[in-house]
Amino acid sequence: MARTENDIAIVGFAQGEMERRSQKTETEMMLPVVAEAIASVGLTKSDIGFTVSGSCDYLSGQAFSFVSNVDAYGAWPPINESHVEMDGAWALYEAFVRLMQGDIDTALAAGVGKNSNSDASTLYTIEMDPYYLTPLGADPWSLAALQARALLDSGRATERDFAEVVARNRASAKSNPKAQVAGDFDVDELLAADYVRNPLRRHDLPPTTDGCAAIILARGKKAYELCERPAWITGFDHRIEAHLPTMRADITRSVSTALAAAGAGVKNGPIDVAEIYAPFSFQELIIRDALDLDASTEINPSGGALATNPVMVSGLIRMGEAANQIIKNGKRRTLAHATSGPCLQQNLVAVLEGDE
Amino acid sequence: MPDVVRESVFNLQFPFTRSLGSTLSTFFSALAQGQLIGVRTGGRVIAPPLEYDPDTAADAGTDYVKVGPKGTVSSWTWVPEPTHLHTVKHPFAFAFITLDGADTPMIHVVDAGSESAMAAGMRVEAKFKPTEECAGRIDDIIAFVPAADPSPSDGAGEPYAAPAENAITMLDSFCDLTYVDNTSASTLLWMESLLKGQIIGQVCPMCNRTYVGPRNMCCVDAIPLDESTLVTVPDRGVVTNFTIITPVQYPGQTETEPFVRVSILLEGTDAVMAQQSVLEIPASEVRVGMHVEAVWAPESERDVSDIGNRGWGSGGECIRGWRPTGQPDEPAENFVERMM
Amino acid sequence: MSHQPVAVVGIGQTHHKKSRADVSIAGLVREAALRALEDANMDWSDIDAVVLGKAPDLFEGVMKPEMYLADALGAVNKPMFRVHTAGSVGGSTGIVGSHLVSSGRHKRVLSIAFEKQSEGNAQFALGGGKGASIGAGGAFAPFIRAYIRRSGAPEDIGWQVAVKDRLNGAKNPYAHLKLADITIEKVKESPMMWDPLHFLESCPSSDGACAVVFTDEQGGKAASKPPAWVLATAMKSEPSTFAGRDPVSPAAAHACSDEIYRAIGVTNPREQIDCAELYVPFSWYEPMWLEAHDIAAPGDGWRMTAEGATALDGSFPVNMSGGVLSSNPIGASGLLRFAEAALQVRGMAGEHQVGGAKLALAQAYGANAQFYAMWAVGSSLDPLG
Repeated sequence: MARTENDIAIVGFAQGEMERRSQKTETEMMLPVVAEAIASVGLTKSDIGFTVSGSCDYLSGQAFSFVSNVDAYGAWPPINESHVEMDGAWALYEAFVRLMQGDIDTALAAGVGKNSNSDASTLYTIEMDPYYLTPLGADPWSLAALQARALLDSGRATERDFAEVVARNRASAKSNPKAQVAGDFDVDELLAADYVRNPLRRHDLPPTTDGCAAIILARGKKAYELCERPAWITGFDHRIEAHLPTMRADITRSVSTALAAAGAGVKNGPIDVAEIYAPFSFQELIIRDALDLDASTEINPSGGALATNPVMVSGLIRMGEAANQIIKNGKRRTLAHATSGPCLQQNLVAVLEGDE
Repeated sequence: MPDVVRESVFNLQFPFTRSLGSTLSTFFSALAQGQLIGVRTGGRVIAPPLEYDPDTAADAGTDYVKVGPKGTVSSWTWVPEPTHLHTVKHPFAFAFITLDGADTPMIHVVDAGSESAMAAGMRVEAKFKPTEECAGRIDDIIAFVPAADPSPSDGAGEPYAAPAENAITMLDSFCDLTYVDNTSASTLLWMESLLKGQIIGQVCPMCNRTYVGPRNMCCVDAIPLDESTLVTVPDRGVVTNFTIITPVQYPGQTETEPFVRVSILLEGTDAVMAQQSVLEIPASEVRVGMHVEAVWAPESERDVSDIGNRGWGSGGECIRGWRPTGQPDEPAENFVERMM
Repeated sequence: MSHQPVAVVGIGQTHHKKSRADVSIAGLVREAALRALEDANMDWSDIDAVVLGKAPDLFEGVMKPEMYLADALGAVNKPMFRVHTAGSVGGSTGIVGSHLVSSGRHKRVLSIAFEKQSEGNAQFALGGGKGASIGAGGAFAPFIRAYIRRSGAPEDIGWQVAVKDRLNGAKNPYAHLKLADITIEKVKESPMMWDPLHFLESCPSSDGACAVVFTDEQGGKAASKPPAWVLATAMKSEPSTFAGRDPVSPAAAHACSDEIYRAIGVTNPREQIDCAELYVPFSWYEPMWLEAHDIAAPGDGWRMTAEGATALDGSFPVNMSGGVLSSNPIGASGLLRFAEAALQVRGMAGEHQVGGAKLALAQAYGANAQFYAMWAVGSSLDPLG
């Protein structure tokens, strides 16, 4: 299909070191990654029409923590800029919508998360319903385990299936130089481990990762100027569900993913590769089910979030990895997914396409 | 010289006070009396109640219904090592519990002794704190425990007549999070210089701006600055601007009297240190154009443990403040706009 | 290109107070949203997407509260988006919402912004949980001192703004402060908080929310009440501190209004624009923004205040609603400015209406006076025509 000036593509992607504990601040993590993304398409900072990032104040426990991150852009003279308290995948969504205004033709979306400063099992208690859940110390691991138990009880998956998701992702991660946890793991050995939250074992949970990533978007002809084979965003949608998992009709189904997939036109053609952001192993099964992918679709060649999980960045990395499958690997049609909130409350789906 | 702090533990603690509004007040007031309730909306009973129907956002109304105190577990997990935020300090379960008379589950604690006692379909009942200890909080229920008698709860599903006024209208919520911050390379350089009694900065080779203390980057040119750009700058300068702050009291506030904060343009540079304190003169005598110099703590008393990664220009417990040098003031108009 | 006209057809806000102890966080945002839906003659089911904005989550101690608020705001099974751009966030929330319509992605979008300051303590949060927090006033006071020196403005300009905005606020049924008996003398005699700023020259700490419903050209033309048309939007940022940065008349503030004026063909803002809602949390920011947005010549902003030009019955009314000085639910304060500008061109501002307003400007700023959001709204798509 011929591309028009209304079409928007991913043309560049950079990700920094993905580490259990970075010695850098978020701003220091961003500086080289933003520079690399811009340089990768042969631009300089003054060429970027709009810049937006995703990060979270509570990761550092500092109000307005994103303010100093503007320093990483060299925002002088002043720039068109925004920030979302969401994963960078949603920052990319804002950049996508901003490009559709038609007055600019390039944009940069970044995500950054210094996750090692805090402890996920306590921090995310304050993301929950402040009256009914936070006072109980309801933690994301426990809520995920309640969802996992429900999935087991539905008869659609077993604990072995969970472990197989882990083994496959970690094996795939061997070819990802940014992966934090990679290698060959025996499913039976994985299943012999103790539960952290029954029925979830440590390997069913994501690692803690500090990291940053950035993506360059371009519109229309500009995309071809910057990239030989742009990854055109032909579908992009995101949806949210009720906050309390107990208020959702069926916790083992991701209605919001299915709606976002329909909105993004996933079924308009075969998907060669899907990058799914499933922070907990079993959630990959729920997302795959909701996406209704063919058996031929390759899932998470990067190793996904079980290999590397910089919260606030993981979704953006899925976008970048899915784009690179087109830009660098010549794939035809790929999918990126991102999630946020307890028990997959919010989900985003993008479909990327290369030219024939 | 004491070693610099490479990791610092910070406890983010604050007592939030949440107002509840009508529906939550009704629920928590009933709960403090040992009564669980739900609300009938959209053809089903939601318990605990919400003020809106989660499917449609329509007002959920006030058709309250008694639920529990027994219920049925539909999903569960086991917490082998509770954190300081969990309300039960020994291993316990979280569970989805559909209370008798309700159509949707609630999430709460089940204290069943061991993991092996947990199963979907198990009957549990609410174990409340003693009435005098109930504060109208979700943890007035210590936990759900295996029901001695699995038969249906008495009165579940009956209408609940809310009192005209609710006893409970607020919820105290203590936030208690721990952060372990590590010190970035640029901050380590800054700490080390302060311990030595020196003020250092970095000069950007592209724009020639000086940054005090070092940031390892230029925010104008977006380039990294390495150790070759380090400079030692004078610990003297001119006050360019100031404010006198009347402290507002809040948990953790350390000040009680008005205090002055000045910006100082360091001698021979274009670098300003903001939010510095002034010693030896009353706040009312602080002037734009005044020459000042750093007052260093004795070497043995210097401490950089309070300097964080975002504290550019913070002197920690090394620079006690700045005192007038006694030189004649500079013309204020030459300096007042140099706040940065 | 795909840029399509956007209409504001619904506006709602809460009664702003020091403490809205009568409502939960959900109750607060729903109060504003329901008023906006009623104004738009819509129901929750008519909305295609929700955009939520607020200032730091540390203010209420709920991380990413849009998660907990998704069902309270009717967003279930819809897109829900969360913006955070410091003090300018309310403005950004409106802009992002309008872009979802102008891009053709959605037909009807609800933007909502809130703060429930009484749940926590902003000064604590701004101080990073430590003692000796200087607060926003302490950060901005030096900029104001520099402005006074630069412009040669008499010291009573700040007091005049404080009085004017509070008298406007007294006409606004939703305002937190309604100080109908305020006088210059009272402002001058009020305690010095952040020298040179007195207590009555500072914004209050408020609980409140504001909501705006956007729709497309067809929806705007079919609306039962007059729409406001979003004519141009801009968001600009610059780094917080570096040698040579001018925080009194920041380059990003100029760039923001330059872009707006260029987009709608304004060459003489003071003559062509009918009124403005500018983010003035401390009195002196009125003359500072008049200059930074080229409504007044450099050094002359205070003269507009002194001459009464910025009063409700003046030639260029500013902060007809009473502004941030009368109500400050931080995260919502920007959207309140944007909403008031829209109310003015819809002719629906009640006692604080500027007669015949056709083109209005709204602005919000944040952090170290470095983040700017701005829009211009008109009573028609071509109010200058």
